[in-house]
Amino acid sequence: MSAFLAVLERELRAVFVSPLAYVVLTFVLLANGFIFWTLISHLSDPAVAGAIAPMQLFFGGTILFWLLAIAVPPLLTMRLVSEEYRSGTIEPLMTAPVTAGQVVVAKYLSALAFYAFLWLPSLLYAALLARHGRVDWGPVASGMLGVLLVGALLLAIGVVASSLARNQIVAAVIAVAAILLLFMLVFFEQLTTDETLRAVIGYVSPVLHMEELAKGIVDTRRLVFYPTAIGLLLFLSARILATRQWR
Amino acid sequence: MIDARSLHRRYGDFTAVHDVSFSVAEGEIVGLLGPNGAGKTTTLRMITGFLPPSAGRVTLDGHDLFAAPRLARRQLGYLPENVPLYPDMRVGEYLHYRARLQGMRGASARRAIDDALGRCLLDDVARQIIGTLSKGYRQRVGLASAILHAPKALVLDEPTVGLDPRQIVAIRDLIRDLGRSRTLILSTHILPEVEQLCDRVLIIDRGRLLAEGTASDLRTQAGGRSAIVVGFDAPPSADDRAAFAQLDGVEALDDAPDGDTADDATTLHLRQRPDADVRADVFRCAVERGLTLVELREVKASLEDIFVRLTTDDRADAAPNADGSDAAPTDAEEPAP
Repeated sequence: MSAFLAVLERELRAVFVSPLAYVVLTFVLLANGFIFWTLISHLSDPAVAGAIAPMQLFFGGTILFWLLAIAVPPLLTMRLVSEEYRSGTIEPLMTAPVTAGQVVVAKYLSALAFYAFLWLPSLLYAALLARHGRVDWGPVASGMLGVLLVGALLLAIGVVASSLARNQIVAAVIAVAAILLLFMLVFFEQLTTDETLRAVIGYVSPVLHMEELAKGIVDTRRLVFYPTAIGLLLFLSARILATRQWR
Repeated sequence: MIDARSLHRRYGDFTAVHDVSFSVAEGEIVGLLGPNGAGKTTTLRMITGFLPPSAGRVTLDGHDLFAAPRLARRQLGYLPENVPLYPDMRVGEYLHYRARLQGMRGASARRAIDDALGRCLLDDVARQIIGTLSKGYRQRVGLASAILHAPKALVLDEPTVGLDPRQIVAIRDLIRDLGRSRTLILSTHILPEVEQLCDRVLIIDRGRLLAEGTASDLRTQAGGRSAIVVGFDAPPSADDRAAFAQLDGVEALDDAPDGDTADDATTLHLRQRPDADVRADVFRCAVERGLTLVELREVKASLEDIFVRLTTDDRADAAPNADGSDAAPTDAEEPAP
């Protein structure tokens, strides 16, 4: 346990003091500000018909949101394991009394913490709206939950990618490719007529889940799917890390 | 303390380590010697548990490294080749991290860190960022992190590589100091280092253990290499040379001794029988023949000779030897000049 906490503390420190993390943070804040501004100016145009809550669109309703979802998790995770391989620090680490599982989970949690930190300021937008009108806090909360669940899954994919590659860029590319593939499932869902395939995609597609969650629908199947998938990915990553030494 | 039993390691089709067995007793300093690419690092990675062997087993202080990894790893301090460290951490911070990885905390961790800083002469750089340190200091930070948890066994992979001569002396002193209280195994391709530091030597080449023993054991094994160097003020005649060659105890005259750059015309190299000492006879013979001696000394076979001999003999054999026969190829012919 002490060893796990030691790795977690080191990783948290490493991510919160790294320049890359703050470049990402700045970029995300700018992008989110831009999304919010666009949505508000669009929705407050009298010519736009229909009443839709801005925060519902804010969480997953724009292309820019999904671009962030593709780019940000790989940037946060690419360093995690790859850098240890590259610099050789994996050797003293894995010969210390600590397991591959502990190392992977600690690294993953550090990235997740920073990811949550990235999204925290977007609650300010909801607060801003609340000053000028009524905000339905339920969908805001479930939208935020969606952002965290989807992000947590994408970060887990990033950790697996990072434990596969010695080179950070390669790790990032693997993660981006995997995430794109996952997102593109939505197009298959629209193209196919096969009911089973559609149902399967419905279970695993973050794009479809975000849509639900932003509307305020919290389906317990999602609450089971995400932690399970994350657990599986981290287990895979720990196995890769343990066997990576064999080569 | 460290017990390795018939370790094998294959990378695909390539066998990096083939049937290596050895054990290191408590308190012993053992050197693992071999040319680059001989399998030293692979062997050390296996006895530290970083790399699982393809076959064979390792126990550390009686704990199997792969069945009871945590117990075994607590007994072990490891300094990998090239000393991987996190460049963005401060020295003290890094040691604190390593101490916690080893399960130490609070005051005991503090004490261990201070002790390690003191032993490795790092007190004045404790607050410095590792990335800004010189190679010598980095090496010492690596050593400090390896001894934090007071391991019973210390494994050092090429601990002096890439250092300047003064740093090498400092690190060797430190290693000698650390070796006083614990079992230590270090790998190197620098021969004098082994002679200076180690109680026992393992010679490894192309993944096989070629020889094992103390430096003097190995010398005896390589026997017959003791030579007498005789220098004259003027080149001796052919008759003089023949007279020296016929002295009792002299086996032959060597023309091309290895590693001796003295002028060949005025210098004779006599190979003597392992049990003989012909120096006195050489002196009398020179006096009888009216020659003036300017030099007379015995050259013992150096570890270098043994090493070169073992590793080249092995290479010369087309078919790999069976395990018994390549341990002591003492009867091999002289390499042709």
